Amino acid sequence: MNPFSVWLERFANLVSVPAAWGIFVTGAVIYLITAWRIRFLALIVQYIFIGVLFARIFDQRPEMAMMKTLVGWLVSGALLLSAQIRARALKSQQSKHMMQWAVNLPFRIISLLTVTVIARLASQKYTLPYVSADLGLSCFLLTVLAILYMGTEEDPGVVGVGVLNILAALDIFYLAQDPGLMVSGLLVGVSLLVGLAFSYLTVTEVPA
Amino acid sequence: MSLSGPVFFLGLLLATSVLLQIFRRWTWLMAWLATAVTSALGGLMAFANFEIPISFQLNTVNLGEPLNVLGRTLVIEPVDRLPLAFMCFTAAGLFVLAWRLLPHSNFYPAGVAMVALLAGALMVEQVVYAALLVVMAALLGIFPLYEPVRGTGRARYGGKPKGGLQYIAYISLALPGLMITHLLLEQASLFPSDAGLLRTSTVLLGLSFALLLGAVPFQSWLSTVAMDGSPPVVTFLFTVNLGTVWFLLLAYLDTYQWLGEQAALASLFNSVGLTMMVVGGVLAAAHHRLGRMVGYVTLVDNGAMLVALGTQQVSGLALTVLMLMARPIALGLMTLGLDGLRRFGESSDRLEALQGAAWITPWRTLAFVVGGIAMAGFPLTLGFSVRWGFYRLLTESSLFFAIIALSGSAGVMMGMITALRVFLAPSPETVADDEGDGVRDDPVVLILILALVIAAIGLGLFPQALAEMAMQVAEGFTFFTA
Repeated sequence: MNPFSVWLERFANLVSVPAAWGIFVTGAVIYLITAWRIRFLALIVQYIFIGVLFARIFDQRPEMAMMKTLVGWLVSGALLLSAQIRARALKSQQSKHMMQWAVNLPFRIISLLTVTVIARLASQKYTLPYVSADLGLSCFLLTVLAILYMGTEEDPGVVGVGVLNILAALDIFYLAQDPGLMVSGLLVGVSLLVGLAFSYLTVTEVPA
Repeated sequence: MSLSGPVFFLGLLLATSVLLQIFRRWTWLMAWLATAVTSALGGLMAFANFEIPISFQLNTVNLGEPLNVLGRTLVIEPVDRLPLAFMCFTAAGLFVLAWRLLPHSNFYPAGVAMVALLAGALMVEQVVYAALLVVMAALLGIFPLYEPVRGTGRARYGGKPKGGLQYIAYISLALPGLMITHLLLEQASLFPSDAGLLRTSTVLLGLSFALLLGAVPFQSWLSTVAMDGSPPVVTFLFTVNLGTVWFLLLAYLDTYQWLGEQAALASLFNSVGLTMMVVGGVLAAAHHRLGRMVGYVTLVDNGAMLVALGTQQVSGLALTVLMLMARPIALGLMTLGLDGLRRFGESSDRLEALQGAAWITPWRTLAFVVGGIAMAGFPLTLGFSVRWGFYRLLTESSLFFAIIALSGSAGVMMGMITALRVFLAPSPETVADDEGDGVRDDPVVLILILALVIAAIGLGLFPQALAEMAMQVAEGFTFFTA
């Protein structure tokens, strides 16, 4: 076995539980802070954690985990670009502060805490088949974050992150059982299309 | 060189999509090229003899030959031929409609690529890939959905992205269920005594299709997409995309026959379908926006299709297919009407902005009303003959169900009457004086409206040919006859 693969596998095993909580922290940043620069920085970091989890699934093929992370960054880049265009077009409505909390912050904190508790309890009560406990927890966290974004946000960028989260959860769960190239490739295609579609939706209201 | 059917079919569509993107400057060329290719492929699916290879100079196409990609098989099965033909002909018709409504639009390349993806979903044998391809097609549909429609240099209307957000969100939420069901059912084949696996997969599958079809309580995307989106693209999503979802559901029932044999399935389909019809009817009767009305009539129609499927009879399945076949004509008419009425209402489709529309844009009003009546299933349209058969079949099992179903259609009809009263109200002088070029109707659009009205009424009077085709499709699926 390639020494790099061995090292990567050990590293991924060691940090997969912190990575699951890292996903939660970055997800919370995206949900609670409305400054688009910070949101997309958090998304890029979130994809590093997702990449770590993929490294556990693709322990024999680290290049697949790397590809998933790169695709995530690519999609983040597309969302970042469209958020920037939108922010410039709607400059008058933007706050000058870099750190901008969401207006309904208490509600968001409570709903975030609630769904996190639900995810934690669900991962303990309903053990997902085919995946380890830490991967199961990550899948639940990604899913509840996705539902939270889709249910409470109207910003296309954040709803897009929600859709990407649910795809990442599905990717982790499904590929742990059936790590085929075909499904993996199609899921990459879906993620890229999601990135493009949400980037497009972000700029649709920008006057030409 | 010998080409298999899927390579030829999908390759031609994808190559055409690329060409159409290059030709975006010339709307007429895009519209007619897209129409010609999709019609030709539809004709090939409907009429070609799959036993005889087709030769083009040095190339031979074996339509019935499967294609293997990394161990996954794509093949045009006999049961897929009419659904593929339906999809191609519907797309072709919508490209013609869009010719005068969406200049320089990316609807044509995106639409052809969507047909390729959806056709791939019907051809692929493993349903998990079909689900992924359906989601990809839905994502592609977002790009033309919010393209601002330009007339004389200024944007005429371009909806808010909320409908698109909801659409993608619901479709994406349906994907995990479909894919995980596939895993669970593979496990269930290894451990047939494990009832939990079957129960979980049934729940997941039901939930996923409820999301995809916009069943109550997930119906909001139907009306929001219809309210915010460009009418021809909305019609494409509600006929071609939703049609594929219906055929995907039938493919699931055909692949996993034990699902169709479950007694609970019939009551599930009946209760969900009737709820959809009643909720859709109530919402349609209370509506104030024509775009939403299109969403609600689709909800009622989807509900009727589910109830027909819930009869667990081949004739019920044939009625489901027939309703799907009747939908493009009715929704096509509503599309043409809605487009003109929105122009009249200066980008608004609220009823208060459309007072007196019938006197200023009579043909568009006629199109919307006839389309709505056809979707409600009232005489003398194709929708009526389909719904007549549906109510007769439903009465055999339960008169109560038939009355509830009829109330859903009556709600749609009430909504249409409310809209018609507003359209026929005396026109405010300000509107009449301000009549711009947007209200003046294109002769080609008038011809299209007339052709669709004649088709809706003609097929309503003589529905036999279409009914036979629907029966042929229904007999291809064996889950109610096995």
